[in-house]
Amino acid sequence: MSAAVKSQPQLGPQRLLAHPASQAKGLELDRQLQAMFPERTNEAADALLTTLPVPHRRLERWKYTGVNGFWADCTRNEATYSDSKGLNPMPIPGLEAYLMVFVNGRYDATCSNLPVAEGVSCMPLSVAEKTGLVDRVLTDMEHTDWFAALNGKYASDGAFLSIADGVILDRPLVIHHRQQGQGSATFLRHALHVGKHAEAQVVTWSSASEDATGFVNVLTTGSVHDGGIFRLDKVQDEAGAVHHLAMESIDQAANSQFCIHTGTIQGLWVRNDLFIRLNGSGADTILNGAFLPSQSEMVDNHTTVDHRMPHCTSSESYKGILYDRSKGIFNGKVFVRPDAQQTNAYQQNANILASREAVMNAKPELEIYADDVKCSHGCTIGQFDEAALFYARSRGIGEAEAKSMLVHAFVADILDGFGVEEVALEVRHRLAEKHGWNRWDEPSEL
Amino acid sequence: MLKINQLKASVVGTPILKGLDLHIRPGEVHAIMGPNGSGKSTLASVLAGREEYEVSEGSVDFDGHDLLDMDATERARSGLFLAFQYPVEIPGVSNINFMRAALNGKREHAGLDPIAAKDFLNLVKEKASLVELDGRLRDRSVNEGFSGGEKKRNEIFQMAMLEPKLAVLDETDSGLDIDALRIVAHGVNSMRSPERSFLVITHYQRLLDYIVPDFVHVLVDGKIVRTGGKELALELEERGYDWIKEGVVS
Repeated sequence: MSAAVKSQPQLGPQRLLAHPASQAKGLELDRQLQAMFPERTNEAADALLTTLPVPHRRLERWKYTGVNGFWADCTRNEATYSDSKGLNPMPIPGLEAYLMVFVNGRYDATCSNLPVAEGVSCMPLSVAEKTGLVDRVLTDMEHTDWFAALNGKYASDGAFLSIADGVILDRPLVIHHRQQGQGSATFLRHALHVGKHAEAQVVTWSSASEDATGFVNVLTTGSVHDGGIFRLDKVQDEAGAVHHLAMESIDQAANSQFCIHTGTIQGLWVRNDLFIRLNGSGADTILNGAFLPSQSEMVDNHTTVDHRMPHCTSSESYKGILYDRSKGIFNGKVFVRPDAQQTNAYQQNANILASREAVMNAKPELEIYADDVKCSHGCTIGQFDEAALFYARSRGIGEAEAKSMLVHAFVADILDGFGVEEVALEVRHRLAEKHGWNRWDEPSEL
Repeated sequence: MLKINQLKASVVGTPILKGLDLHIRPGEVHAIMGPNGSGKSTLASVLAGREEYEVSEGSVDFDGHDLLDMDATERARSGLFLAFQYPVEIPGVSNINFMRAALNGKREHAGLDPIAAKDFLNLVKEKASLVELDGRLRDRSVNEGFSGGEKKRNEIFQMAMLEPKLAVLDETDSGLDIDALRIVAHGVNSMRSPERSFLVITHYQRLLDYIVPDFVHVLVDGKIVRTGGKELALELEERGYDWIKEGVVS
């Protein structure tokens, strides 16, 4: 083969353009936050906050996602920190798991139950950082995204989990975040490390009270070392009117496996930003998600899988059903670098518009710089299958039930795919309540 | 059971049914035959309540109720069943859960509680054996990956489960080999009763060897132009439709 000269592609800020008005809004928010949280400082993050463009509509990554909710008045909301009454700490019935509970970004030790075992280190991030167990290192995510940089500066707590080489965490760790009260500016940062040939299952569950407003900015940094397995179930079920920005920045070493499964049950404004780097050959990534927004909710799933080394695989499937005036966004970037030969990447995004006013913006984005790869993608946006609807109705099934049945069938593979069965059941149960799904959605006892 | 008077219907502005009359009494089996494009499947669709079809004139009385006033779901719950010419595949919905929803819809309409799981299972077993539908097909997604014959047997299975007052079979024989045809016909015949009526729409006489009709109607250009006994079907098989069409014109 001839040695063709390949330009090194860059995933970087050089493409990003600042907009003066947005920049001013961002700096104003930074000032407000600094006044509220004077103790939180980070020089590296400060530098990024002034140089990175503050998200606005003319940036491709924010073209369809308005961020005005973040410029609204926000508070430190100390009053609601300790008020966890009425909060059900464990949102998943029947699950035997370790538990870390955070309310408006602050750790609630009384509700939590941490693993204690050889080779397992689990504690609030604030403790891990204070004792020097881990340093605040800004990932690629903070270096490209202004909101991530904001998290790098202001997140004061979160979950820290480190699994030593060869150790298997015997139960899932559930990280439950609860947003309550008015206008809380919440930052949360999790640092999760899975050692060589180690294994862990983590569930992040976000909930909010009916009266909750403000924003949640949560960044999960993760590393999966050689041969390690890390499964992350991520559920978003926030009542109230919260802006929720969840970012995952994951590094995978050789032959590691990372699975992330996202279920968005409800939330006024939800954005998931996944950034997965495959740094060693033989690494495998699975990312699946289902979102079913209604009324005027917005759910945005942005994913980036960065194939940096040869012989890695990634498989992605996101499904959306959009009701009422809701809005969905999917942007799936698969980046195959020149060295990443023999990459096998698959991406699927399928959506149903369940109402005339619902909107879906979907974009597969494949950037391939290697020449011996297998990359496939498919994207569909459709309506209910009228023939199937009529068929069901002609059997005496009501129109609403027939629609629910079709919707359920459409997302069933995603809903069944959570790493933890109890999570799958609870997500199904909550969706059934929200959308009035009926008996047929129960597992058949026959 | 069914009284159709001067029914006129069109689809996207094209008139298809042009004043059709048909009376079916309880327990009777009527066959409708006719050349392609005469309106046979349109009649089935109009009766089942497909919304693309617009009824401009006429009336349909079903067991004392105005059929045209009901939506597709209500018609089914009131005891009308359409066996589709092309049964629809519904990936992700198991055949058995589909039938449970259908049956419970009907029971709800009749003021009954949902059927108990055990009773339902027994009913499924009983009715599936009628058309030799094995367990594999019951558990699979509705019609997904079924062969042509399996789809038609599944239609008859559904009919048996729902025990309609009037079953409309729309070209149920199309795409069937002779063995499947026998099985389907056996399923239909075992459901014949003094209370239940059938309207069998078919292009060929062959099906009527197995499901013997009380009356045979010939539909040409949206109207019934001739009615007779089962021997009319044989005559049609022998002579084709042209002599009838000519008779209509002259």
